Amino acid sequence: MLSVAFHTMGLLCSRHQHHDEAEIEENTQAAEIERRIEQESKAEKHIQKLLLLGAGESGKSTLFKQARLRPIKLLFQTGFDEAELRSYISVIHANVYQTIKILHDGSKELAQNEADSSKYVLSLENKDIGEKLSDIGGRLDYPRLTKELAQEIETLWNDAAIQETYSRGNELQIPDSAHYFMENLQRLSDMNYVPTKEDVLYARVRTTGVVEIQFSPVGENKKSGEVYRLFDVGGQRNERRKWIHLFEGVSAVIFCAAISEYDQMLFEDENKNRMLETRELFEWVLKQPCFEKTSFMLFLNKFDIFEEKVLKVPLNVCEWFKDYQPVSSGKQEIEHAYEFVKKKFEEVYFQCTAPTRVDRVFKIYRTTALDQKVVKKTFKLVDETLRRRNLFEAGLL
Amino acid sequence: MGSCAVDGGCPSDYVAVAISSVSMILLLMRSLLPFLIHKVPHVKGSGFWLSAIQVFASFNLLVSIVVSLRFLKFERRHRWQSCYIWEAWIEGPLGFGLLLSCRIAQAYQLYFIFVKRRLPPIRTFVFLPLILLPWIAAATLIHTRRRLNVRCHMKTLWIIPATCLHAFYVIPLVGYTAAIRHIEFRFHEVKDLWRGILVAAASVAIWVAAYILNEIHEDIAWLQVSSRFVLLITTSVFVLIFFSISSSQPLLSQISLRKREPREVVTMGRALGIPDSGLLLERGPNPLVDPNEALDKLLENKRFRQSFMAFADSCLAGENVHFYEEVHELGKIPLDDPVRRIYMTRYIIQKYIVAGAPMEVNISHQTRQGILCTTDLAHPNLFKDAMHELLQLMTMNLAKDYWSSMFFMELKEEISMRQDGQELEHFEGRNFSPRLSFVENSDDPFHPENASKVSTFDSHDSTLR
Repeated sequence: MLSVAFHTMGLLCSRHQHHDEAEIEENTQAAEIERRIEQESKAEKHIQKLLLLGAGESGKSTLFKQARLRPIKLLFQTGFDEAELRSYISVIHANVYQTIKILHDGSKELAQNEADSSKYVLSLENKDIGEKLSDIGGRLDYPRLTKELAQEIETLWNDAAIQETYSRGNELQIPDSAHYFMENLQRLSDMNYVPTKEDVLYARVRTTGVVEIQFSPVGENKKSGEVYRLFDVGGQRNERRKWIHLFEGVSAVIFCAAISEYDQMLFEDENKNRMLETRELFEWVLKQPCFEKTSFMLFLNKFDIFEEKVLKVPLNVCEWFKDYQPVSSGKQEIEHAYEFVKKKFEEVYFQCTAPTRVDRVFKIYRTTALDQKVVKKTFKLVDETLRRRNLFEAGLL
Repeated sequence: MGSCAVDGGCPSDYVAVAISSVSMILLLMRSLLPFLIHKVPHVKGSGFWLSAIQVFASFNLLVSIVVSLRFLKFERRHRWQSCYIWEAWIEGPLGFGLLLSCRIAQAYQLYFIFVKRRLPPIRTFVFLPLILLPWIAAATLIHTRRRLNVRCHMKTLWIIPATCLHAFYVIPLVGYTAAIRHIEFRFHEVKDLWRGILVAAASVAIWVAAYILNEIHEDIAWLQVSSRFVLLITTSVFVLIFFSISSSQPLLSQISLRKREPREVVTMGRALGIPDSGLLLERGPNPLVDPNEALDKLLENKRFRQSFMAFADSCLAGENVHFYEEVHELGKIPLDDPVRRIYMTRYIIQKYIVAGAPMEVNISHQTRQGILCTTDLAHPNLFKDAMHELLQLMTMNLAKDYWSSMFFMELKEEISMRQDGQELEHFEGRNFSPRLSFVENSDDPFHPENASKVSTFDSHDSTLR
């Protein structure tokens, strides 16, 4: 843009041109500048359609919530005000009841089926509490979480059998937020409890159907007319047949992959490993004809859980990572494991990308969707990438 | 006469071929009628494929008889006219054998579902090849031992086992049909099966006679011509009468019969005679819809359910509400009517539960397996767990957005206007949903018959674009 301006100025300032010729050339140049300004502003005001895709529980909705929590100008919807935060109380309480029920029923199942069953048997005094809480968890209408109930849940949570069951959590469908909510029970059961933003991010609800927000990111250039339409979808298998309705005209796909799930099975099919499912899904999405020119942002999510898990559970329990060799320990090992996983995803990307599509944008980001700072930074990077691509497409770069 | 008896091309041959072509066309029309005229969407699953394979097998059977018995005269023999291909393979494992195996598979399914009250343990696509194995073995034997002569006739000694194999396959059909004869089916399943058995038995008897005459007396020209004429005509009639879709697709066969009301979309509920459901509180001072009430109570109200369903459909989550409605309809069938319950259950399972179903719902693995592996399809609480999970899903994920959507505003207006006795306003162009700003329904599985667009923020959009 600047080079054009200089060139124009040079032309305009030149005195050694023939009058007629100069005039004609001036007009042509001016028309050219006009056209390019128009193009650029059109490119800037472009509405970008972003899709959040990924398998179930990969963190799509949490990122979606983050987009709503950020100080951005939301169009037509409100951000998270106190009323909205309060509306999450029932969800958080439901999560608590569901979690303790899964743990209790899981411990009973393990006590029946395992050889070493004694360590999964609840202590005598907690048996009644367990049955009562399991019963509550099986209802449709949950009671409000009172201090008494919270105390009982905490007692059960601290039972050795439940802790043993929790350590086998990868075989049951225990939500990732289990530990967080169990450790904060006293606060959650307070009479005047208002969920914090962190609580809201941890609250787990399966998404069904499609949800959308439109927003305009507030950056240094406040005059920016950039508008994003961000779509969140359900990740379970039955939800994926609905994705096809959204595939037209997508600027970027944000594909979420929870890298901590390499030892877990699907909610909808307990015979399938989650990481393998994510790989197949990623391959499928990459090969979609609609996404020929679409940018791909791969979010390798749940890094916080990955960090802890990778030192205890080797990566090669997952068939896809069976050639992984640990090299050291501690932070170095975590980084090494992460780089290995990242490389695997890159391999899949290049295997599934035809030579004609090789120039589409592909970026990988390490994220923890719960971390507000990390996500804010990542969204900013995504925003920059998309703008640059936009200008490039408009022929201005 | 002499030469055409050997080489084909007698006038009676052409007449027989014409009749068999007509019967094939009629068969195709019968099988495609519900799909074309009533625009029923393509239904996945073994039901559809069994009917399709029956049509394919019928076609094979007719063509194999035409070619192997030399109805048509060809200038020279081509390789594809080989006797072994047509007589041994296409007539047997891909023709008559396949046809009867399909019906046996259908009867087997009905037996397990209605008598044993559970889903068949062996999937159809495994069961069908299994029962075709004897045919494949027989065809291989004939082919390798070269038991056919130049005129595609079998040696006398081999005719008996071949005929026995044909007749033998009618027996399991009789067996399964007898086991389900006491069930009061809602559609014409048993009637069709008995009809099929009768026709198959009669046809086999006539074939045996014509076939034996055709094979044995190769030298008598008029016998050759007339016996093969009878053979082809009998087969043409057989395939037409034998075909039925009621055993595997009772609802579709019902649709094809209701020619007088082509526009009415037949639901399984209506086909089974379940009355329309839901309270409709039009009078009374109490508010119809209270957001604080539990969702399952609210959904019992038909008007609310319709509004909520429209909202859910608009954000591509409609299967949850449709599932609720159909399970609700199932609940209205009395427990002492297990046959109707089983029809409805099977329909719900195929539409909502099976992996890859057209409106598959979002339930856990354990819940799904619990339904698919049940030992009692008529059990009243079969869908209880699934219902529970989905109601929770709807309460936590959909309901919140519904209360702030235009669908709910419209409902409130409608109620208050009804209470005031006023005419309802027309709410065009104001479809607002906090979930989606633009939905294009051209390929919508929930509304296949219309391609409507629900667009919002029209005035805002125009300033942005």
